Amino acid sequence: MELTKTTYKTSFLEKLSVERIKVELLRTAYGHSLTFLSKFDPRILIAWYSFFAIVPWFVHNKVVLLGMLVAIAVLTYTSKPSILVLLILALGLVSDAAYMLVVSLLFGGGLSAAWALSTLTLKLLVIALASIAVFSSMDPEKLSDGLLSLGFPAQFSFGVAYGYRMLPILIEEYNNILYSYRLRGRGPERKGFLGWRVILYTGKLSVVAFYPLILNTAKRTRTTVEALEVKGFTYAMKDPKVKKIKLSYLKILPRDYVFLAISAVYVSLLFYVGSHYHL
Amino acid sequence: MTHPMTEKQPIIEIKDISFRYPGAEYESLQHVNLTINKGDFIAIIGSNGSGKSTLCKCFNGLIPTYYAGDLEGSVMINGLSTQSTSIAELSKHVAYVFQDFENQLVRPTVYDEVCFAPLNFGYEDYKERGMNALRMLEIEDIQHKWIWQLSGGQKHMTALAAALSLEPDIIIVDEPVAQLDPAHARLIYEKLKLLNEKYNKTIIVIEHHTEYIADYCTNVMLMEAGGKVRWIKPVKEGLSSVDELASLHIQPPQVTQAFHSLREKIVPTTQTMYPITIKEAALALQQSALPYTKPRHVAIEEQYKQSEEHSDRPVLLKFDNVVSGYQSMDRNQKPTLQNINLEMHEGQRIALIGNNGAGKSTLLRLIAGIRKPWEGSVTVCGKNTSQTSPEQLSDLVSFIFQNPEEMFISDNIRADIEFFLKARKQTNIEPFIDHIMDTFNLTELQQRDGRLLSGGQQRRATLAIGMAMKPTIMLLDEPTASLDIASRREMTRLFDELRDHVKAIVVATHDMQLVADWATRVIVMHEGRIIMDTNSRDVFQHEHILKLAALIPPQIVELSHYANITPPCLSVAEFITHIESIIPQEVYSGVN
Amino acid sequence: MSTATIGNRFELTSQQKLMIFILSMSLYGISNMITELLPQFRVGPVELKVEYFIFIPLLFAILFNPLYAALGACVGELVFGELLLGQFGGVSELEKFIEFSLAIFVAGMLVTDPRNKRQLAIAAYVAIGIDQLLGTIVDIAKVYIGIEDLEAVPGLPESILAIEGFSFLNAMIVSGTLFSLLPIIYLVPRLYGKVEPLLGMKPRDGRAKVSVAGFVTPRFIIVAILLFVVAGAAEFLSESDLELFTWEWEMDLGNIGLWLSLAVAVVIFIATLLIIRKKRKTNHKGETIV
Repeated sequence: MELTKTTYKTSFLEKLSVERIKVELLRTAYGHSLTFLSKFDPRILIAWYSFFAIVPWFVHNKVVLLGMLVAIAVLTYTSKPSILVLLILALGLVSDAAYMLVVSLLFGGGLSAAWALSTLTLKLLVIALASIAVFSSMDPEKLSDGLLSLGFPAQFSFGVAYGYRMLPILIEEYNNILYSYRLRGRGPERKGFLGWRVILYTGKLSVVAFYPLILNTAKRTRTTVEALEVKGFTYAMKDPKVKKIKLSYLKILPRDYVFLAISAVYVSLLFYVGSHYHL
Repeated sequence: MTHPMTEKQPIIEIKDISFRYPGAEYESLQHVNLTINKGDFIAIIGSNGSGKSTLCKCFNGLIPTYYAGDLEGSVMINGLSTQSTSIAELSKHVAYVFQDFENQLVRPTVYDEVCFAPLNFGYEDYKERGMNALRMLEIEDIQHKWIWQLSGGQKHMTALAAALSLEPDIIIVDEPVAQLDPAHARLIYEKLKLLNEKYNKTIIVIEHHTEYIADYCTNVMLMEAGGKVRWIKPVKEGLSSVDELASLHIQPPQVTQAFHSLREKIVPTTQTMYPITIKEAALALQQSALPYTKPRHVAIEEQYKQSEEHSDRPVLLKFDNVVSGYQSMDRNQKPTLQNINLEMHEGQRIALIGNNGAGKSTLLRLIAGIRKPWEGSVTVCGKNTSQTSPEQLSDLVSFIFQNPEEMFISDNIRADIEFFLKARKQTNIEPFIDHIMDTFNLTELQQRDGRLLSGGQQRRATLAIGMAMKPTIMLLDEPTASLDIASRREMTRLFDELRDHVKAIVVATHDMQLVADWATRVIVMHEGRIIMDTNSRDVFQHEHILKLAALIPPQIVELSHYANITPPCLSVAEFITHIESIIPQEVYSGVN
Repeated sequence: MSTATIGNRFELTSQQKLMIFILSMSLYGISNMITELLPQFRVGPVELKVEYFIFIPLLFAILFNPLYAALGACVGELVFGELLLGQFGGVSELEKFIEFSLAIFVAGMLVTDPRNKRQLAIAAYVAIGIDQLLGTIVDIAKVYIGIEDLEAVPGLPESILAIEGFSFLNAMIVSGTLFSLLPIIYLVPRLYGKVEPLLGMKPRDGRAKVSVAGFVTPRFIIVAILLFVVAGAAEFLSESDLELFTWEWEMDLGNIGLWLSLAVAVVIFIATLLIIRKKRKTNHKGETIV
């Protein structure tokens, strides 16, 4: 045992340090210290977002799309999103496009397929960045209030606030339960081909760890719902007056209109330019 | 009290209630009759399972509206019958802070949390009401914090503030001390006292720690098994019933115990009331005119020897210039431990103390290998943890988490205890497991899920899980938190059981009683550094260090300070021996 | 929410429904976040990625109440898996929401006895089957609608068909077995009778009584259908734009198409603003929330 001293390399589980993820996610969720977009009314932002979430689908001109991309990329930058989120986005887009391209080549596709796919990727990029720019700079309270005022059920906006509240706790607990398994269990002795044994071990643990988590969360939820009852939430859900009082602080200010106007002018300009130049 | 004491006005009136949870075989409350007056500060004591929480849930209407069990009798709160009033309506009269108060916080920020209830009730001035609650507790400074940023004490305070936002007359707090470190617990009680005296709120606490009751409450109510109320008495009278409380596994304050034992020696035998606070005890000692300034010749050398004796034994654990920590929100690396150099030897019983966030848990995690040092190295039994997986380290180290529920990963506790050995494909483990079950008194409970056990049983089960791993080193994170006194004592006994099997034990704790009774070596941490490394007797002589680490020494130690007994007595028994040794013959016979 | 009426064997109070909603939301949300992050760390073959931990909401659907488990899971996915990761996909989220809740709901309703392994197995595959099938149908249909225009892009229609077909089969076999069938068979019997007391409930007895009428009002159904159509249409258009694009390229009719799309955009934009205004007004009038 002493002679065969194997150096230990960090396993998948360590790379997937839930703690690290926690930090990154908390930043997305909470780290919106006054960004440019966070100054605006959430409903205006949601409207603004829905424009950029829907319209790119109908636009086929790359000049326009690139123009949108530039503006949104700048706004995304001002809202200081986390690297992890951008990384996931980039990986997703690149791998999807590459996959489709490779398969289409098998079926005899060529440059035209690549060209068509690049437009699609561009659109997806605009839409995804628009959501990052808006939602990573909006604080949870404002976001859920914005949604509530747009007619989402009270349960949904409660869910958002509660999600933000519970996220760190649940991840922490999941992490600890994983450690409970690891500190008493036995990892695979050999890695196997492509590390499949490790993958299997990791995958199995990540599923099985939900068993204690479900039981613990169930116990916790009971107190939470008792507290909600005591705090009158179950009654407030049905009371329109509460909604009105809660949302009375939401006001659309001149700066919101200015923001919309500038966006509108910019987009019109893009379309104008786009009508003269093609790519 | 500062408010004018008019004639007593009942605020809670309970007439002959009995309650049975749906599907339960026995009643949780039996024929309870009681009256609580406006402005009372009352503590409910009683062993586990005596129905304390159940009774309190009757006060705010969760019983019978939420728990649809069989309730007989009547509960009147501020003139309202709980059976015909909604829970929401009752929460304008009764505030409830649960034992697991973390789960009653449902909003992301403090401010949001305290405004939530008034908003739900449709008050236009809900923000003002929320702020008022914060102001009452004088915690406006944390209003913009996220709940997850708060310490346990601040969370508790927030839960209390949220309950206060509806301006109730009655405040119920379920075991405030259990989940908090001693300094925070004291702070909570200070706030409750403030609410009681300045705002004339009626306060009801469920409490195991009689020291706090002695310092803050006016009345005490004793409940016994089967959900019966034995009596309600003024605090001093109630806590002086030492024998009666002891028979119900409730420990009176240490000073009360001491004076009870010394009753025939320094206090007249006819006296039935004993001092319950340190001040009273100090005063009583003074009046007894004992020559208590006489220095105490405890075998100090023996104490030092005891800890030094181990330092020539083999090193089990070595920290070499270790730096470790967490990534903070702004992605900077924030060290929670800095330049830790430490050696632990075979045979040591180490208590790791310090305030929350001092780095105790990080230190334990480094040993267990679930955290790796950024700089320096941690060596456990000759293995560098940076090159060893947690799975491999678990052959040497067993780590008992602070929250037992995170350790119950199998269907029942027997399976949990077997988990380690089965994962290692060991055969013929039955006799060994049976032995462990027996040692930890779990045989009856072995088929049950850990989550459904009581706090003390849960701790026993986690200790058993650790033992079944046959570790060289055992790490325990807050093993006595949220335990009643009887279970705490039992834990200390079980630690002795471990001694024969485990070469070193490291305990991170706030429980100064445990430090005094059990540890041979005490390491005090503060802001990620070790500020003191000594033995348990010595540590209590450094008041500024204790203050830094937000620790409150056991009552008997403080009394020793008051009475100039140096070195201080660590236990009631030591104190009694000391006092008996210094009683001059004439005084002794004179009193007699 | 409708409150329980006495007489039914297994009907939940509104608090219990809220518990199930919250439970399903938090746990599926967390699992979703974990699975969203997993593939990044696994440099395995693309087709072996973890789709989702569908077993979590399905568990609650089987053990408690299909409707609230399904709704909670969808909200959880939106909050934890999308909003918090900044991956909110806009309109296509709605399509996902409907497919997924329908799948969980139907599968949950199929189980009458949580101890019956055969029923559990069927439910496990039905859940993932409905969800994947709906998704695949929408995906493939939108390509087939515009197949003639796809002539200019050889290989793409076939590749989309192949990819969709493969991912459906893969999801059914890999995710369906590893993350639906096995966990369900393993966990449901373990949790049955054990998790209920923690929530203060009695174990489910027979088929869940879902007061569909209470929640699935005509308005709900219409909104759901409309959303599905909108979501589908958006996807069709998004796909067909590939064809439109090449068509423009060749016919050089770009200008008209461009201004047309701008007009559409403006209309949508104004409509959104109007909806907001209208909502605000109705709020002042004090209309009840859904």
